[in-house]
Amino acid sequence: MADRRRVNGPGGITVPPIYEAEDLPLPDRSRQPNGIRAQYLKTGVTPSASGSAYLEIEPQNGSVSKGMKLTCTVHGPRSLPRSAPFSPHMVLSTHVKFAPFATRQRRGYLRDSSERDLSTHLETALRGALIADRWPKSGVDVIVTIIEGDQARQVAVEQGIEEWDMMNVLGGCITVAAAALADAGIDCVDTVSGGVAALVPGKDGEEPVMVLDPVPSEHEEILAACCVAYLPSRDEITNLWLKGSLSSDANLQRMLIARAVHASKGSSQAVAASLTEAALAG
Amino acid sequence: MASQQILFSPAELAYLHRSLSLKPPIRPDGRAPTQFRPLTAETGILPGTNGSARVHFSDGTEAIVGVKAEIEKTIEAPRAEESKPESNEAASERTRGDWLELAVEIPGQRDDEASTVFLSEMLREALLADKEFAKKLFINRRFHWRLYLDVLLISPPLSYPLPLLSLTTHLALLATRLPRLKSEGDEDPMFDDDWEASTFLYPQEGTATNGSRPPITLLVVAIGDNVIFDPAKEELAVAETALAVSVAEVRRAQKAGDMEVDSKGRELSLLSIRTIDPPSRLTPPGVPHTSNTGSSAFAPTKLQKAGDQETEGVWKAPLGGTKFGVLDGIIQAVLEKGGVADEVLDGLEGVELS
Amino acid sequence: MPLDTSTYSLALLRVDGRRWNELRRLHAQIRTQDAADGSSYLEMGHTKVMCIVTGPSEQQQQRRGQTSQRDAAAINVNVVIAGFSSVDRKKSGRNDKRIQEIEVTIANALASNLHTHLFPHSSITISLHVLSQDGSLLAALLNATTLALIDAGIPMTDYIAACTAGSTSTYAAGDDSADPLLDLNNQEEQELPFLTVATLGDSDRIAVLVCESRVQVTRLEGMLVVGVDGCKQVKQFLDQVVREKGAEMVREGAVEKSDAMGMVLDE
Repeated sequence: MADRRRVNGPGGITVPPIYEAEDLPLPDRSRQPNGIRAQYLKTGVTPSASGSAYLEIEPQNGSVSKGMKLTCTVHGPRSLPRSAPFSPHMVLSTHVKFAPFATRQRRGYLRDSSERDLSTHLETALRGALIADRWPKSGVDVIVTIIEGDQARQVAVEQGIEEWDMMNVLGGCITVAAAALADAGIDCVDTVSGGVAALVPGKDGEEPVMVLDPVPSEHEEILAACCVAYLPSRDEITNLWLKGSLSSDANLQRMLIARAVHASKGSSQAVAASLTEAALAG
Repeated sequence: MASQQILFSPAELAYLHRSLSLKPPIRPDGRAPTQFRPLTAETGILPGTNGSARVHFSDGTEAIVGVKAEIEKTIEAPRAEESKPESNEAASERTRGDWLELAVEIPGQRDDEASTVFLSEMLREALLADKEFAKKLFINRRFHWRLYLDVLLISPPLSYPLPLLSLTTHLALLATRLPRLKSEGDEDPMFDDDWEASTFLYPQEGTATNGSRPPITLLVVAIGDNVIFDPAKEELAVAETALAVSVAEVRRAQKAGDMEVDSKGRELSLLSIRTIDPPSRLTPPGVPHTSNTGSSAFAPTKLQKAGDQETEGVWKAPLGGTKFGVLDGIIQAVLEKGGVADEVLDGLEGVELS
Repeated sequence: MPLDTSTYSLALLRVDGRRWNELRRLHAQIRTQDAADGSSYLEMGHTKVMCIVTGPSEQQQQRRGQTSQRDAAAINVNVVIAGFSSVDRKKSGRNDKRIQEIEVTIANALASNLHTHLFPHSSITISLHVLSQDGSLLAALLNATTLALIDAGIPMTDYIAACTAGSTSTYAAGDDSADPLLDLNNQEEQELPFLTVATLGDSDRIAVLVCESRVQVTRLEGMLVVGVDGCKQVKQFLDQVVREKGAEMVREGAVEKSDAMGMVLDE
């Protein structure tokens, strides 16, 4: 079906400008395999929203990792528009968006597929934690903005590790959204928190090792990674995302999930500390 | 997923949940817990594509997948020029996931809707999880194949279409053929015009069959203590947990004289797991008889309390997450030797490739 | 790829070996899908389309500005052109204006043909999938829709049968002696002026007429006559497909043969 009415632009691809590469430090992880990066979490940063939170993950010295900065605002619960059908539960909608300047390659204003994918993951993670039947006929919007992505995006695209980066972003999104939901005073069974673990090849051809909170650019290669959303006091998982090639050895994925849960316990401490602080400050 | 409206009453949901929690569960369509819906499949239905397949489930849902391949120039990383020319081996390592483009079309839904994006990312992720797939698209250091996978759901989405789309994609990839390369080295690629001489993307016989095969993604739900495969719409509506688990068969070279390797069952590798938001969380709760002011003479004194406690036989949407043990049980059930994944792969192998 | 149309005058044969008034091979099936209310599959040469009809069903919540009609059923048409349908893979978004135009054309044609007033407060959803395209796309979509609507048992005045008609030389050639052509394929569509015409049943009443290429007025009448004649042949074919399926269903006992059935089953 040819287009006979308009003159269309040329088909085929265009190549984005490529800037001179910086000297990259060699991939190296300075933390212990079971150490996670320090997190700073503060709630109530946006006065106009009913709940909000800000999460910062520390940058790593001598690494391409520039840390990560996320904010989340929660709007609602508010009544659904007149045209919407009746809902016996709170209608949750989640939006995850990279700020246009968050990564080295500029992100557009429209959400691309990876951002939509992240929102679906986040929705699943939060829906398990919400006690949604306490707010019938109402809706709540959770909006997460990634102000600064984990690392130079160009590096990520070239090394093909961009997709692994998404897991870290999701982990941060879950943690910050849980804190904002708590700040908004929306009933949850527990504060959910995100954690990531990965299987990376060991140094000098040794057995692969499991690391917590992996930064993809710190490793030559990532074999498999797992991100969980975990409810610490109930010991339950609301969202599980695992990918990578694992052999049929059943213990490997079991271990990986367990390590990711362990990592999320670290984030949950940050959430608890920040919420206690906010409560004490009144 | 959430946009799908569930049109079951609390009483229906409670009934479904109870019969599915029994040991063994009683499924509405009478299947065993590990049984798939019967399906008919055919491949090579579209001569204009590199590979195509059509799968038709017995409940009337149908999907078509077409694979098209185009040659594309590999964009060189600027750093590569300075370094020494790599060997072909090393270059083929530098493959990228975006050589594969996958689009899912579901009638009546926009293609940028979050649930559609989620589906296509899930299928793409499983394909790319082992780095073997992108290597198959490598031609030489300057050119590669770009593979377009268009997944079309023909029928209206009656149930969650993931297993159907995944099985159709699997078959289409098995049937995909690429023209035989005539040129050598890094020169501009030249191909054999003869379609008969084309090679399968996933070779069918000979030594080249070793390595990974295309993945399949299974939808598994947990209801009570039961693990149920390939849930229908009614079953998904009462599921406490839904997981999409992608596995692929890995064929290893069999050493000559090593007879023990030739045992039954295949080696499966786990590629990806995703939690699917079960629609059960959005179902309306039932009202217990005792707290129903309309039917009982005395009104409940503490409404708030009555809403929180669970009454036997009254439906209440599940709350909270899933225990690790349940998730682990599901994964083990999928990976089990001679289990469902094996059965499905056996069935798909029976489909004639044209 | 420009088409060398000059050879036509030598042998009076077109690039695919047809005469000027020949249709391509037609093949159709109805009731291809168990789950749908009505379904069909149609091939016109290498153009292959599938149609699924859902409804008449309760009006879904208003989506994308569909106005709910209180006294008649709303007709929603959804066309999906598969990325693999043409020679070069081309992904067309759902907001593609050309696809929207096709959808509107089909919906308008049906609105005047279907007895929608029998189903107030309801909607009829027609989803069309293009699996392979080689010219005469709109015509194939219209024919497939007719078949699927008959399968769904939605009352209508008559068959809508469509085909394309073109002219043997380009507009620029200014050739007054140009002959009309019937049922163009993709190659011919690229090069020659053509129109898509659909008629109602055996009558000469035109339901759809779309011409988006430049052509001399003097040639138009000839093209239209040939097109309408082609539509009659198509209608014959569609009718035959429906009758065969009907006869098969009676044989299999899916429906009972009744005296009220006003058709002769060829057995």
